Amino acid sequence: MDRIQNTEENYANPKTCFFHVIFKAAALAFYVLSALFFDSFVIIFVVTVLLAALDFWVVKNVSGRILVGLRWWNEINEQGESVWKFECLDQESLARMNKKDSWLFWWTLYLTAVAWVFLGIFSLIRFQADYLLVVGVCLSLSVANIVGFTKCRKDARKQIQQFASQTIASRFSSTLQSAFSVV
Amino acid sequence: MSHGDTIPLHPSSQSDIDEIESLINAAPSATVLPARPPSPPRASIPVSSSPAPPPFLPAKPATAGAPPLPPPSLGVNVASAAAAVPPGGRLQGGIGADGFGSAPNTLTEPVWDTVKRDLSRIVSNLKLVVFPNPFREDPGKALRDWDLWGPFFFIIFLGLTLSWSASVKKSEVFAVAFAVLAAGAIILTVNVLLLGGHIIFFQSLSLLGYCLFPLDIGALICMLKNNVIIKIVVVTITLAWSSWAAYPFMSAAVNPRRKALALYPVFLMYVSVGFLIIAID
Repeated sequence: MDRIQNTEENYANPKTCFFHVIFKAAALAFYVLSALFFDSFVIIFVVTVLLAALDFWVVKNVSGRILVGLRWWNEINEQGESVWKFECLDQESLARMNKKDSWLFWWTLYLTAVAWVFLGIFSLIRFQADYLLVVGVCLSLSVANIVGFTKCRKDARKQIQQFASQTIASRFSSTLQSAFSVV
Repeated sequence: MSHGDTIPLHPSSQSDIDEIESLINAAPSATVLPARPPSPPRASIPVSSSPAPPPFLPAKPATAGAPPLPPPSLGVNVASAAAAVPPGGRLQGGIGADGFGSAPNTLTEPVWDTVKRDLSRIVSNLKLVVFPNPFREDPGKALRDWDLWGPFFFIIFLGLTLSWSASVKKSEVFAVAFAVLAAGAIILTVNVLLLGGHIIFFQSLSLLGYCLFPLDIGALICMLKNNVIIKIVVVTITLAWSSWAAYPFMSAAVNPRRKALALYPVFLMYVSVGFLIIAID
């Protein structure tokens, strides 16, 4: 038990947190600083969008699972309809998730989107339509992850509530049954 | 307490007691008894080789189906292809949040497994969409496993090739090519939906992106050989190939009387990209 308390004071998954943050920071930094070094819009576009896409993939597939225990994806079922699936860990494991990890996860997710909105406003003011394209792509990737994980978290909470109410109901009925059988 | 008063044990308790007794009897050679019951499955990532996105926890899956309407707008491939990005790979063993028992190099493994799986999905989607396949089943169901990574790479590749071939205004060429293709795919999908067709937004985006593959090849050849006649021939062939690839999916999605209305804009978009390829020198 001591070991659990010790690890709760630090990040439980430092490598994952590092990767979670590095691609976001690299995309933003490259976009902002590249104007000083590169003259070519193409390089800026391709590298920034590539870093943003990598970040999207890492958040969705790796850090979402490890840091907050959530996952979302889209499936097409037999009838040809698209279904969004949300998955979460069971309640016990969710309660054991490191608080620092999940704090980092959610805050960096929101902050990146806000940062891209600001950069978009700047490029709008300067009438740079092509840079607005870059910002648009990166922003849509961040927003997609935010929406996906928020829906997943709401779904997880709903399921926990359902599970809790079911457990209470079943315990209640079994207590009633045992009370009546004794009598 | 006499023997007559003993309460019969619950069947599972009896088996537990038997287990513990057998372990105690075998103690000298046995391993140490666990101090606490085995922990429930945590953030462990079960390994699987199935193509379908597997549940996160095999013991306690918790899926919920959202309404079948198209989801909020997305970007890259991600999975969704992209989209919605592809489900991640898994790895056996505890990459738990508990801090003990976590292997230090397992972070690289799931990445590699996932990357391999995504790459193989891109290749299989490509083979399904673009290449002639007599065993192809119902085209509407064929791109069930849509992803947007493939289209993303193809659009970027086309933009880069066009930009490289251009001698002036490289940035504008790239931006225009990317914007036209991306906006064009979205508008074409909306067109099919407005015609009363049954197609899923991301599936259609994914399809239109994959059908760009022949034009990618055409642009590459045109970049290497700068002769106008060769360019026209190559672009015509690849244009026909792209349209042929897109035809079954698009026509299956709409009412037969409106097939031409759905297919004509697709053809128009590919023709305009073809002209862009020819005109760049």
